[in-house]
Parts: sequence; C-alpha cells; structure tokens
Amino acid sequence: MERLGTLEVKNLNKKYRSQNDDLLVLDDINLTVQPGEFISIIGSSGCGKTTFLRLVVGLEKGYEGEILLDGQRLNGPSLKRGVVFQDHRLLPWLSIEKNVGMGLKNPKSGESRKTIQEHLELVGLKGFEKHYPHQLSGGMSQRAAIARALVNRPEILLLDEPLGALDALTRMYMHQELERIWMKEDITMIMITHDVDEAIVLSDKIVVMSSRPGTIKKIIPVPLARPRDRAGYDFANIKEEVLAEFQLHTDHPFTYSI
Amino acid sequence: MKFQIIKNKLLGLIIPLILYVAWDFLTSREIIPPELLPAPKVIFDTWWDLQSSGELALNMKMSLLRVGFGFLLGAISGFLLGTAMGLWKPVELYLNPLFNFFRQIPVVAWIPFLILWLGIDEWFKIVFISFGAFIPMALKTLEGIKGVPASYLEVVRVFEYGWFRVLRTVIVPSALPSISTGLRLCLSEAWMLVIGAELVAAGEGIGNVMVIARRLFQTDVVLVGVIVIAITGFAMDKVLGLLETRFLGLHRSQNAQ
Ligand SMILES: Nc1ncnc2c1ncn2[C@@H]1O[C@H](COP(=O)(O)OP(=O)(O)OP(=O)(O)O)[C@@H](O)[C@H]1O
Ligand SMILES: [Mg+2]
Repeated sequence: MERLGTLEVKNLNKKYRSQNDDLLVLDDINLTVQPGEFISIIGSSGCGKTTFLRLVVGLEKGYEGEILLDGQRLNGPSLKRGVVFQDHRLLPWLSIEKNVGMGLKNPKSGESRKTIQEHLELVGLKGFEKHYPHQLSGGMSQRAAIARALVNRPEILLLDEPLGALDALTRMYMHQELERIWMKEDITMIMITHDVDEAIVLSDKIVVMSSRPGTIKKIIPVPLARPRDRAGYDFANIKEEVLAEFQLHTDHPFTYSI
Repeated sequence: MKFQIIKNKLLGLIIPLILYVAWDFLTSREIIPPELLPAPKVIFDTWWDLQSSGELALNMKMSLLRVGFGFLLGAISGFLLGTAMGLWKPVELYLNPLFNFFRQIPVVAWIPFLILWLGIDEWFKIVFISFGAFIPMALKTLEGIKGVPASYLEVVRVFEYGWFRVLRTVIVPSALPSISTGLRLCLSEAWMLVIGAELVAAGEGIGNVMVIARRLFQTDVVLVGVIVIAITGFAMDKVLGLLETRFLGLHRSQNAQ
C-alpha cells in the first residue's frame, strides 16, 4: 500500500520583486521526498533555503512550477505541514504550555494536556510549563518551538535551522531526540541546517544548494545504518563529499559549519 | 533595587521643591506683587475656603461628569473606528484618508460650529470633549492592530485558525498595550478639553470658576483652579496607569523583549 505524504517539487522557480528588476531566488528546483524520509538542505546564507521552506509550507505565493503533495497542488498552509521557523516565534504573551498547545483544536481538554505534557518532556522542558518565552534561553525557545510544531502530529515537519541556537552538547542530544521522534512518529522531516555533521547524522538525503540563483547542486544520499557513528570511516567519506561541494576539504572531520 | 527606585522618584521632587521655595520667597517678600502671583499660603487658604463651602466639590463634580460622558463617547467610537479600520482593509481604504484629514483639525476649531449646532449647554461640552478623545483612541487602536507582527499571524495560519481564534490568540493580546495607551491619551485629552469647554461656555464647572475669578481679579482662585486641574489630571492618569500595570503589566514586559 502506498503511504500518504509524498512531496514532489517540479521545475520550481521563485522570484522576488524588488524596485525595478526581479530577483530570481530559486531556479528550477526539482525534488521528490518520500513519506517518512529525513532530508537536510544545506547551502550558504541567502541561497533561498527559507524561501523554499516557506513555499512548501504554503506561506509564500506566486511561483512557477509545481509543488505537489500526493499529486495535489498545495493550497495554502495546513495542519499537515508543521513548521519550526528560523526565529522560534513563540507568542510572548502565552506560557510555554499554551504555546506548545497552540496547534491543538481544544488545548484545555484532558487529552490535550497529556499530549502537551508528553511533548514538553520530549524536548526536555518539563517543569517550564508556566514559564513565559522571555524567561527561556534561545535554545530552550527553539526546543519549545519544536514541541509546538509536533504536537498536532503533522505528516511533514519542516525545520528551519532548528538547532542553530544550541550549544554543541545540547545539539548532539537533540540529534538523538530528533531521530527518535522521527522514527517514533513516522514523520517526514525536511531540515535546513548549516551543520554538515548534523545533516549526516540525521538525513537519508542531503540536498546541497548553491546560491544566486538558488539551485540544487547535488543530492547526496546517506546510506548509513542508524544510529550513526560520527567517528566512522563512512561518515568521514560522506562528509568529505559534502564539503567538496563547498570547495572545502578535510583530513580529519571535526565540526564544520557552512 | 527598591532603594534605587525610591531614589529615582525623589530626584523628580527636587526641582519642584526648589520652585516652591522660590515662589514662597518671592511672594511672601512681595518681590512679585500679590495681584500677579499670590503666595502659597494664600492659595492654601483659598483652597480651604472653596473646599469647606462645597463650591469646589460641586464644580468638580460637574466637570468630572462631562469628562466621563465625553470620554466614554469618544473612547468607544474611536475604538470602534480603529478596530474596523485595523481589521477590514476596505474600511481602512474608505475611511482612513477622511480620518487623517479630520484629525488635522484642532478640536478648538470646531467650537463655533458645535455651538451653532448644539448650543452652549451640556451637549456642546460632551460632544466637544468626545471629538478630542476620539482621535487618539482611534489612532492607537488602529496602530495596535496594524502592528501585530506578521510572523505571529503566519504561525496561526499554519495551524489553520479561524478568525475568532486568530483574534483571541494573536491580535487582541498584541494590540492591547497600544489600545491601553490610547485610553490614557484619550482620558487626558478629555480632561484638558473639559476645562477648555468651560472656559468658553458658562455653566458650572471648574473651568467656569476660573473664568469668573479672573474677571473679579481673584488670582488666588484662578491658581487654585490650575493646581486642582493638574492634580486631578495627574491622579486620573496614575489610576489608569495602575490599572494598566495590574492587567497588562506582565504582558507589556513580555511584549517589550
Ligand atoms: N520577502 C522578500 N522580498 C524580497 N527578497 C527576499 C524576501 N525574502 C527573501 N528574499 C531574498 O531571497 C534570498 C534568499 O533568502 P532566504 O531567506 O531564503 O535565504 P536562506 O537561504 O534561508 O538564508 P539563511 O541561511 O541566511 O537563513 C535572499 O537574497 C533574500 O534577500
Ligand atoms: Mg533562512
């Protein structure tokens, strides 16, 4: 039986209109994402990653080409496609608990409370239910935003540098957590990142983008068994392959960021 | 922390105190003639007389009643217009240019027409006050709603919220601080204008007491009027300020970050 949630992007072009001339941000993007896949998008700043994500979420209109979900053209945002924005966008006047519950139809019901609690635990924010966003660190806010995006069980979760504000150790912990969530919820994830290691640890495929205009330069599959060994030989090889796309080479893979 | 706050408040009292001492010194030695500026002690006695005869209370009551009605009328209509323009683009397109034109007109410029239409009795004063109160309220309400960050609206679009839930979850909380500021501006405007209206048209009221006193060269009564107006205005703003902190205090600090 075929599973639902196949995302197909065909010949996608996106222009932004500036004063006189059009700025071509995305140029002929073609990508198919199978249900349950974990995809990372990696590319230099300003190459159009966020723009691509916003198009897939349905927040951005006016493009050429097709974005299809199970063969249907997208029609605006939907609960089926959750998003974690680059800036966490928690509502400052709602407690963390209420923020996390935003995606639920009836956040006050007993069942919702339980779900909210579970998701807070999932991202390690137990005990911060009654706190407000301004009382949280940047990393905690990002984790709260992840919990908020997951709470209504979307088919596809789009993450825009969700771990950008975390320290290296918390980040590694979150890699484990994200992987666990991804497996448990059986959800498609598309994550933008600047961290090559992160991309390799988590993804089935890495999409490397180049800029001006943003195009897909290469799609690198990561056929490694999970959980992945960061110190392994194959890991290093794939890292070499990704970094080569950026004219960077490494004898020894520590953390490289693009 | 606490000490610092008290210290900062005390700093604001230094200059008034110096002015008071100078005033007392200059008037009690009659360096400034008493017809031009009465001494603090005289002011205090006059205030006491007006107070104990009940004259002050009666006139204050009249002024405050007018402020109350004018404020309510202006605040409600301003809020409604601001909300309508903020939430519905067509309303904004139809009405905002007219509103911007209207608000350039100083409220006092309406006095001749208002008197012509409404006479010089209560309705004139109330409508006059409400004209003035209407403008900051409409402006601040519109500003508050227009200022709702688009990024938050995107979040709830992804969650497929209906309009009511968008209103309740994002628009109201986000616009509330600005609306509350509008309310305060609106009240202080109303209080200024009631005095203006009473200076123009006779009847009871604190402004009228001052007009009569000026004609009789009772500078002390005029000055009592000035001080009472200042204290009342200050107190009203403080009360609204406290209510605001009480209900929005937390909220404001969260928005500020
Ligand atoms: N609303 C907009 N109007 C005009 N130009 C825009 C708009 N949004 C983005 N751009 C332009 O599109 C390009 C891509 O922006 P985008 O935010 O997608 O980059 P990004 O790859 O996410 O970068 P980063 O890694 O820094 O987040 C940039 O050159 C930017 O200036
Ligand atoms: Mg971006």
